[in-house]
Amino acid sequence: MLPIDAAAHSSRWRRRHPVDKAVLGLGLTVLAISLPPWPGAALVLLTSLAVLLGPAGVPGRKLWRAYRVPLGFCVTGAATLLVQVGGPQGFVSLADDGALRAGELLLRTSAASLGVLLFAFTTPMSDLLPRLVKAGVPTAVVDVALVTYRMSFLLLDSMRRVRDAQAARLGHTTRAATWRSLSGLGAMAFVRAFDRATRLQAGLAGRGYDGTLRVLVPEARVSVRFTAASCGLLIALAALTLVLEGPLS
Amino acid sequence: MHIAEGFLPPAHAVAWGVASAPFVVHGVRSLTREVREHPESTLLLGASGAFTFVLSALKLPSVTGSCSHPTGTGLGAILFRPPIMAVLGTITLLFQALLLAHGGLTTLGANVFSMAIVGPWAGYAVYRLLRRYDVPLMVAVFCGAFVADLSTYCVTSVQLALAFPDPSSGFLGALGKFGSIFAVTQIPLAVSEGLLTVLVMRLLVQSSKGELTRLGVLVAGGKRVQAESSEAVAR
Repeated sequence: MLPIDAAAHSSRWRRRHPVDKAVLGLGLTVLAISLPPWPGAALVLLTSLAVLLGPAGVPGRKLWRAYRVPLGFCVTGAATLLVQVGGPQGFVSLADDGALRAGELLLRTSAASLGVLLFAFTTPMSDLLPRLVKAGVPTAVVDVALVTYRMSFLLLDSMRRVRDAQAARLGHTTRAATWRSLSGLGAMAFVRAFDRATRLQAGLAGRGYDGTLRVLVPEARVSVRFTAASCGLLIALAALTLVLEGPLS
Repeated sequence: MHIAEGFLPPAHAVAWGVASAPFVVHGVRSLTREVREHPESTLLLGASGAFTFVLSALKLPSVTGSCSHPTGTGLGAILFRPPIMAVLGTITLLFQALLLAHGGLTTLGANVFSMAIVGPWAGYAVYRLLRRYDVPLMVAVFCGAFVADLSTYCVTSVQLALAFPDPSSGFLGALGKFGSIFAVTQIPLAVSEGLLTVLVMRLLVQSSKGELTRLGVLVAGGKRVQAESSEAVAR
């Protein structure tokens, strides 16, 4: 299992309905990209961190390991705004307001990423996917997504073991050997995926498979109190941004 | 490389979502029709989605000494066709955003447009065109994967340049800036992905002829493909 999904399964908010967490987590993300970066995104960033480490109970180390991935992309992406092409100062030169734009972008992306991580760290995929049917996603697509989700872990596990076996047989010692091993790994993933699908199909056919995958979904109700509190927090953040925007800019 | 969460302004995020929607809806219709006619396809398509997801987890050696990962869009489009890839690509990108914190939900539309629509369609078009003129299978596969990878990054450069025009030279300057940054890493990576795809396809021709025939890859080019696959198996 992947670290974020594993953490979601043992999360303090695991039993909450995905809608509760979507309103809060995705609401914070929407605020992060729609409010002015300063002070709006900064407030969203601090609030998201406080909720993640506080009430949601996400371990700091796990959060950092997941957060450093998008943060790396944010930093490299924002760095490009520091320079400009052409103009009187030469072909490539430092942009006049580059640092400001890069800082604002960094604030916005890092705050938005934390909002999504709040949702991801508290909502297992197995809780979310079956409920997408009620949101209007066609059943066929949800079924394919469910099979994809469950089979991905098996394939990733198989690949890890094959990669270890290749390494033990000196399959990564030279560049040529690395390429050979990689191509074998890719082909193996395809062969195993189709082999598993065929065997699953045979197994399900024996149990009267009619084209619909029925899975048990943990019972949960949308909490009006939680959702109302989340909306209140989002409105308060937006209002605080509007109040502070003048004095702080 | 996917566009990170929150990187695009709200208007751009919505616009790319709207641009992607018709292709994804078309793919969903194709997929629903396929599942309705052949219920067992659900498992095969799920396996294909898992394969696409896992393919993006392969670490590819880069000329700069670092590692990157294949987009998998070229191989996916050749095996499963672009409309299905639009749906499988969207599912994969959603999983990457939520399970790996790679990409994002607000940038999902933009990432879907580049990786699940333009990449597969461009790669598949080149592959089909070359097959029509009886170009050998592996050459067509290499070109398809190369173009799919490169076109994905070209579209990403356009998306970023539209969102962040250069203060001095505007959209074109920004396109040159983002394009040149990507070109340094992506042209070698596109070549690498093309080579990897050829190696994977060669192994598949030897080990999974039945699946490739069922997917229409080995009959798409006519007699010559059959002959090539027989030669590969004989080797």
